[in-house]
Amino acid sequence: MKSLFHHNYLKLLIATSFLTMAVQISQAQTPRLQLNSLDHLAAKASETVDVSIDERLIQTAIKIFKDEDPDEREIKKLVSGLKGIYVKSFEFEKEGEYTTADLQAVRVQLQDPAWSRIVNVSSKKDGNIEVYLRMHNDQIIGLAVLSAELKELTIVNLIGPVDLEKLTKLEGRMGVPELGIEPTKPKTKNEQ
Amino acid sequence: MSDDYLWDKRGEPDPDVQRLEQILGTLRYQEKPLEFPEQIAPARSINPVFLLAIAATLLIALVAAGLWLMVRKNQMPRNQLAIAPAAHSTPKPEKEAIAPNKPKTAEPVAANNPETQRRPHFAKAKIPAKPALSPMEQQEAFAAKQQLLLALRLASEKLNEVQRRTVAPTTPMKNQHKVG
Repeated sequence: MKSLFHHNYLKLLIATSFLTMAVQISQAQTPRLQLNSLDHLAAKASETVDVSIDERLIQTAIKIFKDEDPDEREIKKLVSGLKGIYVKSFEFEKEGEYTTADLQAVRVQLQDPAWSRIVNVSSKKDGNIEVYLRMHNDQIIGLAVLSAELKELTIVNLIGPVDLEKLTKLEGRMGVPELGIEPTKPKTKNEQ
Repeated sequence: MSDDYLWDKRGEPDPDVQRLEQILGTLRYQEKPLEFPEQIAPARSINPVFLLAIAATLLIALVAAGLWLMVRKNQMPRNQLAIAPAAHSTPKPEKEAIAPNKPKTAEPVAANNPETQRRPHFAKAKIPAKPALSPMEQQEAFAAKQQLLLALRLASEKLNEVQRRTVAPTTPMKNQHKVG
C-alpha cells in the first residue's frame, strides 16, 4: 500500500513538473520581451523613458483620439490592433555606461527562433540598431527594435499586427519630430 | 420448607441456595468506570512526510493552473490577431464576390431612392454613442495617449534611423561621374 502511494505520488509529481515546464515554455513564446533586467541602468542614465502600455490602456487612449483629425485617425488605425507597447530608453551623459552584458538578457529572448532579425546596422561611430520581427501565419505579431548607441540605449517592443510602413511614416506627425529623412518614393502606377 | 428464601430472602435459608449464591455471586454485575485498553487507541498515525508530499503536490498543481490560466489569457489576443488583418482586407472583395454582376447604375438609383436614403439615418441611430468618459478615465486616457505617442515617436525614429543608415551607403554613387 505504502509503495503504491509512493509510486502514484511520483507519477503525479512528474506529470505536474512537465505541465509546469510546458506552461513556462509556452509563456516564453509570447512576443513580449522581459525588459526588467535593464532597470538598473536608470540610476546611471541622465534621461530615462519607460513606457509600458497594455491592450487595455491602448484601448483607453484610443477613445480620446479625434476621428476628425486625419493624423489622429491614422495613429488610431495604427495602434488599434496592438496588444501592447513597451519601450525602455536610457540616455547617458558619457559613453560606456552600459555594457553588452546588460543587453544579454534581452538578446537571449530575441535568439528564440520565433524572432527573426530583419535588419542589423552596425557602426563604431553611431552604434548598432537591430530590428526583429515575429511572424505568425505571414502576419507580424511582434516587433522589437534594439538600438545600442554610444550614449543611448533604446529598446522598443510592439505586440500585435504592426504596419511598419505606417509606423516609419509617423515621424513628423502629431508632434513627432522629423529627422529630415527622405521618405521612400511612392510607387507609380506603372510600378504597381 | 418454604421457597421464600429463594425468592425474597425471607424465612429460613436453604444451605444449597446459599452455596449457589456464593458461587454465582462472584459473577454479579459490578459497577466501575469505563476504561479503554491502550491497544484500542488509534494505532496508526499519518506520516508527516506524506502530508507534506500531498501539500507540495497541491501547491505545484495550483501554481501550474495559475500559469496555465495566465498563458491562456496571453494567447487569446494572438488568436484574435490572425482574424484582425483578415477583417481589414476582406470587405471589398466580399462585396464584389456577393454581387459581381451588379450594374454600376445601382448606386445612383439607390441614392435617389428615398427609402434607401433613410437607411443611413436609421443606421446612425442604431450605432451606440461613445460612452462618455469620467474625469478619472479621461485623465488616464490622456496619460496613456501621451505615453503612446512617445513610444510611437521612439519606434518611428529608430526605424527611420535604420532606413537612413541602410540607404546611406548607396548615396555616394550619385556623385560618381559617368565613365566614357
